[in-house]
Amino acid sequence: MTLEVSGKTHLGRVRTSNEDRYFIGVLHKAMEIVDSNLEVTDAITSFSQLDAYMLMVADGVGGVAGGERASQSAVFSLTTYLARTAACTYDPDVEQEDEFLQRLEEALQRAHDVVRSIGTGSRAPATTLTMALVLGARAYIAHVGDSRAYIYRGGRLRQITRDQTMSAYLQDLGVSHDPRGENKLGNMLASAVGGSTMVPTIGLVDVAPGDSLLLCSDGLTKHVPDDRIAERLQSGKSASGVCDELVNAALAAGGTDNVTVIVARVSQ
Amino acid sequence: MIQKKVCMVGVFATGKTSLVRRFVHSKFSDQYLSTVGVKIDRKPVRVKEQDVNLLLWDLEGRDGAQDIQTSYLRGSSGVLYVVDGTRRETLVQIAEIHELVSKSIGDVPSAIALNKADLTSAWIINDGDRAELGKRPWHVFETSALTGAGVERAFVWLAEQMGSVAS
Repeated sequence: MTLEVSGKTHLGRVRTSNEDRYFIGVLHKAMEIVDSNLEVTDAITSFSQLDAYMLMVADGVGGVAGGERASQSAVFSLTTYLARTAACTYDPDVEQEDEFLQRLEEALQRAHDVVRSIGTGSRAPATTLTMALVLGARAYIAHVGDSRAYIYRGGRLRQITRDQTMSAYLQDLGVSHDPRGENKLGNMLASAVGGSTMVPTIGLVDVAPGDSLLLCSDGLTKHVPDDRIAERLQSGKSASGVCDELVNAALAAGGTDNVTVIVARVSQ
Repeated sequence: MIQKKVCMVGVFATGKTSLVRRFVHSKFSDQYLSTVGVKIDRKPVRVKEQDVNLLLWDLEGRDGAQDIQTSYLRGSSGVLYVVDGTRRETLVQIAEIHELVSKSIGDVPSAIALNKADLTSAWIINDGDRAELGKRPWHVFETSALTGAGVERAFVWLAEQMGSVAS
């Protein structure tokens, strides 16, 4: 399974700074056979093919400098921690998978601690963070805040993550709220990396050739509805082409926020 | 601490996510988005004077057994099958799903949650169905994610059974 991945970010039409950060990386776990009299089996050669794709989107909040620092620090912390720890442990083995999931949670907690160390209080920096780590056919998803991960499969776009906003939490509690008041309360993050509360969610989805993964900040989803996103993913364009189209669509619809997207096309 | 993976399976909208949320977070909502792929939660429980970390794999509900992705079941020490007591088809499908799961991971400790016990007046499960369920190798619990009735009991029972099986 290979991925064609691309990412793009834009300041938007209103903001004066970009507090979004994205990251696309590949972790290699490779073994090069130099010489041997062993009968070389698939079990051995498979180690020369193990790549893990690390995709991340973070949307900082907490004032211009604070938001940028929060998203930057969180992505940097998560990337370095996972590169150090996960690269040598990931494996198709079940017990290793449990261990890997634990590492993922630890990495998020560590990122949270790093961002908290920048400052605390009502205007303290914090950030959303949505990550997909794709290993073979399995995409592990870690999520905090209201950036999103989607999977596009067979003509259908499905949201993998659930927004961690006050609006979503009130809806969970069965409390109706005035949509006109959404900007005041509804869009407030109920969980954020570096925030007073962080409740990460961990999940996974197995991907197949033809699928696409999309990670994005809310600068996209507040302007471009799911059906329009699906149209772009359906177009058959390259990951880079789809990123351009999605960002342009958000800008054309107002571009009131920073907008960031990562698109990964899965092929054999 | 010992870790045990439990898979929650059943067709769509039977309340798998709600049961996990009730058990792990003591909360309920009927407003969830459908699960895509698998959502993973942890819950430590104490079983026979031993701490066990339950890794709860909440599998996306599909239309039927043929749609269950068996790759998600690998390494599972126990299975909780979830049936919506108000929808007969969810019960009919569970036998087929059980067969698929058994083929995939063998006979592991299993329980069935007859969910939505707060709506028993709307249940379509009769005594004959219960007798049929009783013939299979699982323990049956009536659960309600809304009230919490039977939820903890079902998970703890599974944890106890898994604890008595060598890992």
